[in-house]
Amino acid sequence: MKHEHNKPLHRYGMVIDLDKCTGCGTCVVACASENNVSVRPDESDKKRFISWMQLYMITNGKEYPYTEVCYIPRPCMHCEEDGHGNPHPPCVSVCVATATRVDINTGIVSQIPTRCIGCRYCQAACPYHARYFNWWDAYFPKGKGLERYLSPEVSVRMRGVVEKCTFCHHRYMRAKRKAEAEGRRELKEEEYITACTEACPAGAITFGDLNNPKHKVSQLIKSDRAFRLLERLNTKPKVYYLSSKEWVRRMADNYLPEELKPVKPLALRR
Amino acid sequence: MKLNRRNFILSLAGGLIGINFTPLPWKLMDDISIWTQNWPWVPVPERGRFHYEKTVCTLCPGGCGIKVRKVDGISGNRAVKIEGRTDYPVNPLGICPVGMGSLQLLYDESLRFTGPMKRGGMRGSGEFVNISWKEGISLLAKKINELRAKGKPESIVAIDGNRKGSTCSLLIERLIKAIGSPNYVRISNMEDTYEIACKLMAGKSSPVSFDLENSDYILSFGCALIDGWGSPGRIINAWSMWHDYNSKEKPKIVQIEPKASDTASKAAEWVAIRPGTEAAFALGIAHVIVKQGLYNKRFVENCCFGFKDWVGSDGQIHTGFKNILLKRYSPDRVSSITGVPKEKIISLAKEFAKAKRPVAIFGKDKGELPGSIFEYMAIMALNALVGSINRIGGLLIQDGLPLKDLDDPVLDSISRRGLRKDRLDDAGTEKAPFTHSIAEAISEKAEEIELLMIFSSNPLYTLPNTKALRKAFGKIPFIVTFSPFLDDSAMMADLALPDHVYLEKIDEVIWPTGLQYPLYGLSKPVISPIYNTKHTGDVVIQIAKKIGGSVAKSFPWSSFEDVVKYRVRGLYEAGGSVKYNADKPVWEMIRKREKPEKGYSSFSDMWKKIKENGLWFDVPDYNKCSFSTPSGKFEFFSHVLFYHKNKLKAMGVTARNDEAFMPHYESQELKVSGYELKMIPYGMINLSSGWMPSPPFVYKTIFDNQLLKEDSFVDINPKLAKSLKLKQADRVILSSPAGNIKVRVNITETVPPDCVYIPMGFGHTGYDEFIRGKGANPNEIILGRRDPVSGHKVWWSTPVKIVKL
Repeated sequence: MKHEHNKPLHRYGMVIDLDKCTGCGTCVVACASENNVSVRPDESDKKRFISWMQLYMITNGKEYPYTEVCYIPRPCMHCEEDGHGNPHPPCVSVCVATATRVDINTGIVSQIPTRCIGCRYCQAACPYHARYFNWWDAYFPKGKGLERYLSPEVSVRMRGVVEKCTFCHHRYMRAKRKAEAEGRRELKEEEYITACTEACPAGAITFGDLNNPKHKVSQLIKSDRAFRLLERLNTKPKVYYLSSKEWVRRMADNYLPEELKPVKPLALRR
Repeated sequence: MKLNRRNFILSLAGGLIGINFTPLPWKLMDDISIWTQNWPWVPVPERGRFHYEKTVCTLCPGGCGIKVRKVDGISGNRAVKIEGRTDYPVNPLGICPVGMGSLQLLYDESLRFTGPMKRGGMRGSGEFVNISWKEGISLLAKKINELRAKGKPESIVAIDGNRKGSTCSLLIERLIKAIGSPNYVRISNMEDTYEIACKLMAGKSSPVSFDLENSDYILSFGCALIDGWGSPGRIINAWSMWHDYNSKEKPKIVQIEPKASDTASKAAEWVAIRPGTEAAFALGIAHVIVKQGLYNKRFVENCCFGFKDWVGSDGQIHTGFKNILLKRYSPDRVSSITGVPKEKIISLAKEFAKAKRPVAIFGKDKGELPGSIFEYMAIMALNALVGSINRIGGLLIQDGLPLKDLDDPVLDSISRRGLRKDRLDDAGTEKAPFTHSIAEAISEKAEEIELLMIFSSNPLYTLPNTKALRKAFGKIPFIVTFSPFLDDSAMMADLALPDHVYLEKIDEVIWPTGLQYPLYGLSKPVISPIYNTKHTGDVVIQIAKKIGGSVAKSFPWSSFEDVVKYRVRGLYEAGGSVKYNADKPVWEMIRKREKPEKGYSSFSDMWKKIKENGLWFDVPDYNKCSFSTPSGKFEFFSHVLFYHKNKLKAMGVTARNDEAFMPHYESQELKVSGYELKMIPYGMINLSSGWMPSPPFVYKTIFDNQLLKEDSFVDINPKLAKSLKLKQADRVILSSPAGNIKVRVNITETVPPDCVYIPMGFGHTGYDEFIRGKGANPNEIILGRRDPVSGHKVWWSTPVKIVKL
């Protein structure tokens, strides 16, 4: 069942160029420091840690010396559908506490920790492992002084709630307030970008409105190199990736051998 | 109703059931959860207006521009986020993860000294008691004066990690010299090896830089380009331009390295080479270029010395570089040394020579550790053969920043006597005549040290063979640290006179590593110091004043900033610019031979702007063919080495005759029977392996096959794992003749079967629970030969074996 009239005004989305990405992890750190994600003494427990933007490393599986590695930074995909044609992502339909919604104006999938009751249905429903559960209170022990770098724009989460990437929604609000103060209704392309987009030293992340044909993102997603993770689940993620390497694109989903169209390699375009 | 056992249980059960029909338990549970969720250890950040302050990052020599977002709250202002600057020429796009997370280094109290302190308990226990600054400074001045009175000023040693040429390092060197000790020891890195290689071939000790952005073919000899080599902000920005799918102008990047590292995987081509054979590979390429006549005849004939055979002033016939190449480095021989097929060597050589602006770059890994002189010389010679020295898009040998020098310090008779003594680390003596410092060598001379001062460095962590060094530290009677952090070395200190952390102080960026144009950056205190710390520059001046006499006379300034301002006048006299236009990258101006707009009217205007914006730069004119060597040319045959010909054998150079004075390949591998594997340390951009601690944030980017709880991993090939019957994440002991460390194994095809790759940056014994005791530090067991020319330890290959636990 399609809800054409419910189509959001803007559809904010992200394009990550894996040909440019060097896997440095600045996006991960920028995200954690922008969104007050706390660091625990043991961050190596990847089942319990929190990293809204998570970095994955993949290899082509070939023997030495034909091996190659590639990194995939993975934020929340901000899916548009649940895979069955319904206009909400898999996590939203299962939330019993209305703690996560799709914003009709932006397409951003929100997460309101204070509403969350910690049932973790959404975590189970998310195909991308983009949701994290707070097994403990945020780690800011008394007397350590770490709370001094906390940003007032994002509240610190307590134990027992789920959290995830919000496309730096507070930055959207900040940009919106500024635009309203200046009497503008529309945001400029560079006015609202996420912390990871801004931080990437390789300029691999592009952020913008997929509905606006003038925005760079809506041009980039038309590229031959564009793909999404687990595309055939049909959840319509708004995060796209670009890669000219076939083995990288093949790793994003279970493709049939002849299914992927070849892309001209980067190195040959000299 | 009678109250018997039965009725009691019944009423209890009834009550329990009944209570569930009242709202009470639900209300209570709700209240309790709300109450616990408001327990005060989930902090509520104070609100306030945002504003931004621009400065530069001084965590590494990369010199990125940063802006700090601050919140003006009722209880004062605080920094909440670091972001990259788009109006700074070094890093137009962003910064590295360590810089991004470094507010934690500022605000994590348990990482830092909160004021001057004295040792409280046993050495290494980390117990310190507070003292006043006055007490701390007089204590140190008294110690120094006692040693001077005893006529033993040379037993005072300073280890300094500040960048060469920075005002802070000059002040420290000056203090040590004025006291009368020759033992000012700098922590060395690849730039020190650049300087020696330059001295030998181009006649001046200047670091080399690479005009990568204007190059069209980059042959990288193991440089971890995207893992923190050089100035990471600049290199990754260039990387991004090179990997823009639609851009027409792309250089070809060829990575020569044994490991399928990030750079190797993302480069256009990866050449898997045997570890430590880079020099042979470079000379093999040079052989093909010479044999096929593809070399730049104009440059080689006009600007180079020693290419063809020649007759010396004494009538002796010398073999030229050309004939040595042709005789000794045929593709067949090079292929058998390096393991690279000879067809590959020939095709790469042709591509390299035929490119318009090719450049070969060197400095293994992140460049935080010194390299091998003959390897650097071989790659410099390769650049010379294609005419890429001092050319746009090539390798540049330039003078340092035109900062004003300080005049010589005043010396009294004690100092003069002390300065005549030999250095403890043998640098500058017959054993290592071209080297400034060999910090790792002090562990052998610990008995002669009475007072050790540690500035901006963490020798007990970053120097090879830390076990020997730790023992040596135990023999030193008095250790003073100036580090703001409770690092591995500071834990051994008797006195701590802590510096500010980088955002709290004025500090300099002295020409970011490898940048092709001179740049001077100045950071400003973005927030006022949060603890009772003092700028080390100021403290050094105060110590000198307290010592009195000639030492005090050598320090006429009242503050560090005065000295900086005095030195910056040199920049004013040299010209340059303080105004950068983000639409016009400096490398583009270099190509178009444009000069930047000055952007200042007078010295005071310039000083004000440098302090505000943190930037001075210049666009130099390259294409200079003048060298300061005895021949006035770029020397394939190094006269400087030739002058030392009698000492070379004792230094450990194995090549004989003319080859010894030219770039050549000699194996530097240490072979110990029973230790058949090679341990190769590697750096990561998301983990600091130097003096600065890693901000806890970066541990979110570390994979669980790199660190799992307290264990770090070493990378081994599946073939090796099979022969040792090891499974993924098995615990093993990695042992070298220098000692053992416990690690886990990560089985991956990215590494060759005879090597064990180990990350640098884990295994600290200092700092707090985020960093301490996590993983193993390869420096604990590094054991290698010394480089024959520089005297530095060869760190990149240690013989090891693996024993399953």
